[in-house]
Amino acid sequence: MYTATIEKEALEPRSRSAYYTRQKLIFILVMVLVSVVPLIGISFFSFQYYKNSSIEKTSVELASLTDSRKEIIELFLADQNNYLGDLMNLYPPEYLSDQANLERLFYATNRSGVITDLGVIDQNGTHRAYVGPYRQQLSDKNYAQVDWFSGVMQNGNYTSDIFSGFRGVPHFVVAVANPEKTLILRATVDSDMFNSLLARAEVGQDGDAFILNKKGEAQTPSRRDNLETPFAMEDVSKGTSVYQTEEYIYTATSMNNGTWVLVLKENINNSLTEFYSARNKAVILIVLAIVLITTVASVITSSIINRIRLADQQRTELTNRMRKVEKMALVGRLAAGVSHEINNPLQIIDNQAGWIEELLEDEKQGKQVDSEEYVEAVKKIRTHVKRAKSITHGLLGFSRTAETQRSKTDISKLLDETVSFLENEAANNQIIIEKKLQGSMPATITEPAQLQQVFINIISNAMDAIGSHGSITVATKMSGKNRIIAEFSDTGPGLKEDVQKKIFNPFFTTKDSKNTGLGLSISYNIIQRLGGDIEAKNGELGGSIFTVILPVVGEEAVKNSEETR
Amino acid sequence: MDDISVLIVDDEYDFVNTLLKRLNRKGLDCKGVFSGQSALEKFRERIFDVVLLDMKLADKDGNEVLKEIKKMSPDTQVIILSGYASARAGREGLGCGAFDYLLKPVEFETLIEKINTAFDERKNPARSGAGKNH
Repeated sequence: MYTATIEKEALEPRSRSAYYTRQKLIFILVMVLVSVVPLIGISFFSFQYYKNSSIEKTSVELASLTDSRKEIIELFLADQNNYLGDLMNLYPPEYLSDQANLERLFYATNRSGVITDLGVIDQNGTHRAYVGPYRQQLSDKNYAQVDWFSGVMQNGNYTSDIFSGFRGVPHFVVAVANPEKTLILRATVDSDMFNSLLARAEVGQDGDAFILNKKGEAQTPSRRDNLETPFAMEDVSKGTSVYQTEEYIYTATSMNNGTWVLVLKENINNSLTEFYSARNKAVILIVLAIVLITTVASVITSSIINRIRLADQQRTELTNRMRKVEKMALVGRLAAGVSHEINNPLQIIDNQAGWIEELLEDEKQGKQVDSEEYVEAVKKIRTHVKRAKSITHGLLGFSRTAETQRSKTDISKLLDETVSFLENEAANNQIIIEKKLQGSMPATITEPAQLQQVFINIISNAMDAIGSHGSITVATKMSGKNRIIAEFSDTGPGLKEDVQKKIFNPFFTTKDSKNTGLGLSISYNIIQRLGGDIEAKNGELGGSIFTVILPVVGEEAVKNSEETR
Repeated sequence: MDDISVLIVDDEYDFVNTLLKRLNRKGLDCKGVFSGQSALEKFRERIFDVVLLDMKLADKDGNEVLKEIKKMSPDTQVIILSGYASARAGREGLGCGAFDYLLKPVEFETLIEKINTAFDERKNPARSGAGKNH
């Protein structure tokens, strides 16, 4: 509740300070979160986006590199096939089978030097002629049982896998048969040229390029000695496919009529170097932005919270001042009523004393005086001293409102006493205060002086509402065993709907400017502090009804609460 | 002190009774009543020179009674006696034609003096309201 908060603020400055610190932190946190979370979110998604496009770009580049390398290698292979095919077409078998002719042709045409040797083999697999460095070893060799021989006899041409054989140099065989399949031209091609071609493929530092056969065996060496691929050879088709693992991007394409697979591989992190450098710069900027946001948020929040704190302080001061004013107004109001209550007995006492004086004077003069007159006069003096005493003592209780002394209190009695203070003023305005107080009410431990202030506030308000000619009914009753109800109903105009909502707010008043509008707000705070509740509503027959609900507090409860304090 | 007739109107029984005794001893012709209504009834029976009137009566407002009395007997001087220290009430009373406004407790001597002044005023209004300047 708003009013309750004010009361608390005034009472607990230390916890208020903690409250402001907490509010400040919450403010800063919210401001920073609101700005930083979207910033980080956008950055994160941007990073992801650029990273993915970077990888995508690398994949596309790698695929295009693969295509170009494949084209070159296939051109080279076709070149060798064409070379043998041309020889076969240009020269008759008899001419080619001649050792001298073959040598002449070989030296004349093999200017590039990629062909190591050239052999002419007949349909039985026997060498008819041979040019090259291995003449002695190969001239008697029969190829009838060799893979490439059956391949070329079947298809008319054949390109073998790369192998080292007894030469110790990686090479492969290209063979072409004449249309009648009576003669075969066979060339050994040095595959070093492939290696340099692949080595020149511009893959990054950790990248690789190699050729595998269908069995996954290396046709060219791997730069990293790692021929593992995340795909099976048979899955690779003629088009270039891209594969991605956590570390690498692979591109693969089949070539040489599906017998070989060209694999290019690029380390993802290497391809992201540019991205990482850009990202690091962005991260530095984001961190700077967060620092800036936090600083600005702290400065702004500190300023706002300080203003709020100042405003709160001023409000609390104002409330305290107003509370004093309200009390003084109350004291003034009471003084008038109380003075009447005391002046009347004083007048009687004075009169009785004067009367005794006169009687004594008579006696001095020797006149007979009825002694009963003395007795009666003294009795009256005592009676009216008692009457005055009850008022001054009651007032003493009220003047202690600043103290919060708890004592066992009979609410009905307290209310009876309170009404006596105001009855006089009420009567002056032709307002009758009717009391319907329950006699046998359990005493509750509460702060009677504070409660009295509340009751006076409520009754005074009722009197103001009525103006003149009307009545106020003050009633007490029990609600169950644990609640005491004090009800104040009046014959005034009642409460308007908007008034009813705001009636316990500080500074709210329907009266003239002389009123502080704090009376009911203070009453509310007092009742709340005493563990009770206060309600305002309209009576069914008009007028307003204020209900104060108080708990019955026994001594046990007080002890317990003191122990837990 | 020649037979000044005084009506005391106050709901304080003890006050009225003792004051009656004391004023009568001083040779005043005093009567006492405890309510506004009985005051008016008494006034219908006879006219009093001076009325001591309490502002706060159980049945009527003192000012009302004052107005009625003044209506019945404009010459009667009404002295308001009240324990209620309110400038407003005093002003109102004086405005309605009261001779004076006295705050309880009033010393007996002062009261006697005031009654005498009021009586003089009634007998000889030309000397004009000495008490009105309070």
